[in-house]
Amino acid sequence: MSNIDYTIEPEVVEGKPSHSAVNDAIAKPLETKPTWKYYIALGISSTLLLIGAVCLGYSFYYGIGLWGNNQPVGWAVPIVNFVFWVGIGHAGTLISAILFLFRQRWRTGIARFAEAMTIFAVITAGLFPLIHTGRPWLAGYLFPLPNQHHLWVNFTSPLIWDVFAVSTYLTVSFVFWYIGLIPDLAMLRDRTTSKIKKVIYSIFSLGWRHSNRHWNHYEMIYLILAGFATPLVLSVHTIVSFDFAVSILPGWHTTIFPPYFVAGAVFSGFAMVQNVLIIVRKIFNLEHIITLDTLEKMNKVMLATGMMVGYAYGVEFFIAWYSGNPLESFVFLNRAFGNYAWAYWIMVSCNVIFTQLFWFKKIRRSIVPMFIIGVLVNVGMWFERFVIVVTTLSKDFLPSNWDYYKPTLVDIGILLGSFGLFFTLVILFIRSLPVVSISEVKAVIKGSQPGHH
Amino acid sequence: MVSNNLYALGALFKDPNKLVKLAKKIVELGYKNWDVHSSYPLHGLPRLMRLKWSPLGYIALILGLTGTSFGVFFTWWTMSVDYPLTIGGKPWFSFPAFVPVLFELTVLLASVGTAIVMLFIIFKFPNNRHPLHDTEYMKKVSVDHCGIVIEAKDKNFDYEKVKALFQEFEPDQILDIYYQEEEVAYKPKVFDWKFITFLVVIAVLTSAVGYLFNNKILYMPPFDFMLNQFRLGPQESSTFFADGFGMRKPVPGTVARGDIYYPFKGKPEEAGAKLINPLLPTKENLALGQEKYNTFCSPCHGWRGEGDSHLNGQFPNPPSLHSEKVRTWSDGRIYHVIVEGQNVMPSYAKQLTEKERWAIVLYIRALQRSLNAKQEDVQ
Amino acid sequence: MIENQQILYHKKPLPKKLLNLGLLLFVVGLLGTIAGFFVDSARISFNLVVLTTWLASIGIGSLFFIGIEYLTGAVWSVPFRRVAEINSAIIFVLPILIVPIILNIHSLYHWTHIEAVQNDTILKNKAPYLNETFFIIRTVVFIFLWFLFYYLFISNSRKQDSTSDQKLTKRNSIVSAAFMPVFAISLTFFAIDWLMSLEPHWYSTIFGVYYFAGTFLASLGAFTYISILLNEKGYLVEGLGPDHYYSMGALLFGFTNFWAYIAFSQFMLIWYANLPEETFWFINRGVGSWFYMSIGIILVKFIVPYILLLPQPAKMDPKRLKIAALWILFAHYYDLFWVVMPTFSKNGIPFNWFELVPIVLGLGLFIMVFYYVASKVNLVPIGDPKLRRGVEFHL
Repeated sequence: MSNIDYTIEPEVVEGKPSHSAVNDAIAKPLETKPTWKYYIALGISSTLLLIGAVCLGYSFYYGIGLWGNNQPVGWAVPIVNFVFWVGIGHAGTLISAILFLFRQRWRTGIARFAEAMTIFAVITAGLFPLIHTGRPWLAGYLFPLPNQHHLWVNFTSPLIWDVFAVSTYLTVSFVFWYIGLIPDLAMLRDRTTSKIKKVIYSIFSLGWRHSNRHWNHYEMIYLILAGFATPLVLSVHTIVSFDFAVSILPGWHTTIFPPYFVAGAVFSGFAMVQNVLIIVRKIFNLEHIITLDTLEKMNKVMLATGMMVGYAYGVEFFIAWYSGNPLESFVFLNRAFGNYAWAYWIMVSCNVIFTQLFWFKKIRRSIVPMFIIGVLVNVGMWFERFVIVVTTLSKDFLPSNWDYYKPTLVDIGILLGSFGLFFTLVILFIRSLPVVSISEVKAVIKGSQPGHH
Repeated sequence: MVSNNLYALGALFKDPNKLVKLAKKIVELGYKNWDVHSSYPLHGLPRLMRLKWSPLGYIALILGLTGTSFGVFFTWWTMSVDYPLTIGGKPWFSFPAFVPVLFELTVLLASVGTAIVMLFIIFKFPNNRHPLHDTEYMKKVSVDHCGIVIEAKDKNFDYEKVKALFQEFEPDQILDIYYQEEEVAYKPKVFDWKFITFLVVIAVLTSAVGYLFNNKILYMPPFDFMLNQFRLGPQESSTFFADGFGMRKPVPGTVARGDIYYPFKGKPEEAGAKLINPLLPTKENLALGQEKYNTFCSPCHGWRGEGDSHLNGQFPNPPSLHSEKVRTWSDGRIYHVIVEGQNVMPSYAKQLTEKERWAIVLYIRALQRSLNAKQEDVQ
Repeated sequence: MIENQQILYHKKPLPKKLLNLGLLLFVVGLLGTIAGFFVDSARISFNLVVLTTWLASIGIGSLFFIGIEYLTGAVWSVPFRRVAEINSAIIFVLPILIVPIILNIHSLYHWTHIEAVQNDTILKNKAPYLNETFFIIRTVVFIFLWFLFYYLFISNSRKQDSTSDQKLTKRNSIVSAAFMPVFAISLTFFAIDWLMSLEPHWYSTIFGVYYFAGTFLASLGAFTYISILLNEKGYLVEGLGPDHYYSMGALLFGFTNFWAYIAFSQFMLIWYANLPEETFWFINRGVGSWFYMSIGIILVKFIVPYILLLPQPAKMDPKRLKIAALWILFAHYYDLFWVVMPTFSKNGIPFNWFELVPIVLGLGLFIMVFYYVASKVNLVPIGDPKLRRGVEFHL
């Protein structure tokens, strides 16, 4: 593969599988009994979920005093987790919407999966602001509904923007994902032999009948939804960054936060999607649909977004000095050399230094190194949020107020639980819905389309 | 299979190029009720089938604009009309701060609304009773064929002719598609007793859960921890302190913030003689005096100081400020009354700053002058 | 499928009229500029800063466009790539333009006054960065780097015209990858030096991205307008049409939104936090008639192009696209004017022949450079392996 022939279009799907073979390959996980590996994976993830549930129940009963949050550091690991998971969600929409608008056809094999991961990640993320309030049963007041107090929500508050952004994002992602699923569900409906499955697929495919009169509208709405999802995905992490940036705390209040957060979100999301896809394509023999070329392109995107994140680190540091504001420079020096320097350097090395290995084609195309780098990227991105949230708060304007923050075991249990929730949903999804969009894959196989004349 | 009716004649192809040729022919022949089915969108077919440009773009635009304008109205009305709150020194209607919410509302309404319009209005979904469902034809289309149907209701439809037309293009298969009248004609009824029962059960369940949650569960631990806290409310007794009071008195000699020592306590005459109004009767001072007078003095003394307020006749009558006595008082003497009170009038020292008290004195002087004007005031 | 048919290209020279027009504009502009230096050198220098950053936008943005094409493997833009390559040649006028500016640096940049810096703690802290020598070194290094990458891109691309060597495409892809970090850093510091340090106390971390958004828009505007014009007049190859235009329209539309997003983020965060060390930059732009210009920028740079390009058919309509592209070029000038000029004239928008002369000069320079470079090369990269796919591109 060292010499690419630029005169021909690269194939998205390797080989030239027949349409029925595509159907069989993608529908296989839904129709066969899972192997013991599947149950082990499910066991691990649901154990994690159980740990999280226990820790959460504990926190609900005794209150959030069980967490490590202390006086200056009121926003701690729960908010770190929130930002982290919202970020993971961004890759899905990027793959399904932005790459769709740019007509990057390599997205076809991974779009469905990435969209599903978006939804699961946003669900996981949504948990954290709720539990962070300490009294999640009062969350109804976050919505601007008429109530007995005659009070409305404060629309100038970034926390309300979050409510709107995250719930809109979840809804629109879900609609986008569901619209994409309809033709595949219809395919499954026509294929299945089980009566119960037939009823379920019939209900959810709504009676889709592959009509080209419908496809005409369908392609239009796909374009429209992609067009809406693209600014939406920017807006969501922008608004998450506003949570920090509209404040006046040095280290939080900086104008580059919106694009920087978005780049970071895409970065970590791609790493997560890449990790999960590597496992899925191996287990379900989808190597010809989720190709190595696709993974290599994902790695390139990670390299690019990693450098954008690095750019933001650099600019922030430079401007902190350039501004001549002693508070700004203090915060940044404190990040790099203060008592959270360990977290800072984990962040820098994972996000900026290790990803530079992707300059080498060999690493971009070999599974094990790219998997490891993907994991490291997510570690780095988690610590990026940790650094942002904790270092700024732990040393605020009043030195007598300073304190060192440490997460407690309950905090860590909840973090593990969030991974458990996410992966349990992913694992259940793999067995219940087609992980690759069948209709899109068919459409890009060579010979599927009539020639242009 | 008695009531079987012919729905359409279908042709199945594996090669989309052959299908496109047939489709072109069908368009030429002027059939109207025909369709192409394929498990993925075929490029260029909408143009070939002469389908209209999908109106969904305009629908999305309209819905999006609806979302925006609703958002603008809603944020404006809640934040600056119904319950205005000043937050962070920003104006009530801080448009830049509402932009995120407006944007989200626009996207939400436009995308979800357009999807609903497409699925439920344009496609008339859900519809699992369409004649094509569960046919051999549909099953093959779902896997690896694409197909064309010409419906029997087309006015140019002629079974033999269409079949011959299809055969001309060498399809992999030609199928007759039948449907049963009663199956397609079935319409769900709103007043079906099963449906009504279903609705009632749902309503009862939701109300029960809502009632339990709002009235019972929220008052059980741990949800009631905020209601039962280990602290004392105002005026509650305490066993901790020897005197049994929960509220503590300040340390003797404590001076409240902003409290100014008043040297003429209980010495009205001395105050009248020694205190001099530091304010000049400027427009601003008189306006301040008027404002404060109207707030604090007029409830008893009346708007013009004649003692003609609501309290007249229900209480010891508030005195007029135009009496000979008050008119001859010095400014300091009136000031003293404001600070200390007199008879049933309480002290207003807590409510009024020094400057405001003097401004009221100026205003009272202006009121007095208005009823007892001197000759030179007219000139 | 047309498999083995050659793509026919015959080079047609651009009309001589164009050169005459360019010369005329250049001479008028040059005379005006020289006159400006005699009448009010400070004012004309400020205007030249606007012009320089505007032309730099078109040039470097075009280089960035070429790099992105190689990196993403885009094909639709291949038949038009020469246009971007020729546009990027405008960076060669930058050394000439910056000389008079640097000679007048004291009337432009407050931090060049040593006595003012001595009495200002903040500026004293910045002195290691903001001083004349380092400023000039940085500018020269950046321009040198842009020249270097221009040379690498263009020489490979031109060589391919005769050799049709696929390795050159590969080589340019590598050059592009190397160019991206260089581009990001040089553009950011160029923006900080030339635009942000006009108000040396002000700082905004997003400013580099803000300038980038405008830069890419301006270069896309120039690219779109010239490509469509050349294609309509038949200077390019057969078979380019609405599908290609759609891509240009979509990019213009997308980056118009991107600019709005970045500009809004910058304004919003500063407005919301309300810190005096940041807000004064916007407050200065609300004084007198500047207020109307500040409101106008929303209209000029966002709403008008947004509405022009919103409908799907509009992105394929060459007439509408040409208007939008020219408008966006103008809007970028407007934007830079709004960034630069309040430092010169605090109380209101200055508008006189001083403000028009640089535009005339810039257009003249652009046309002349374009004519000169275009006369030497093919207007289509005929040896590019992706050319056929580019011509046959369909949505």
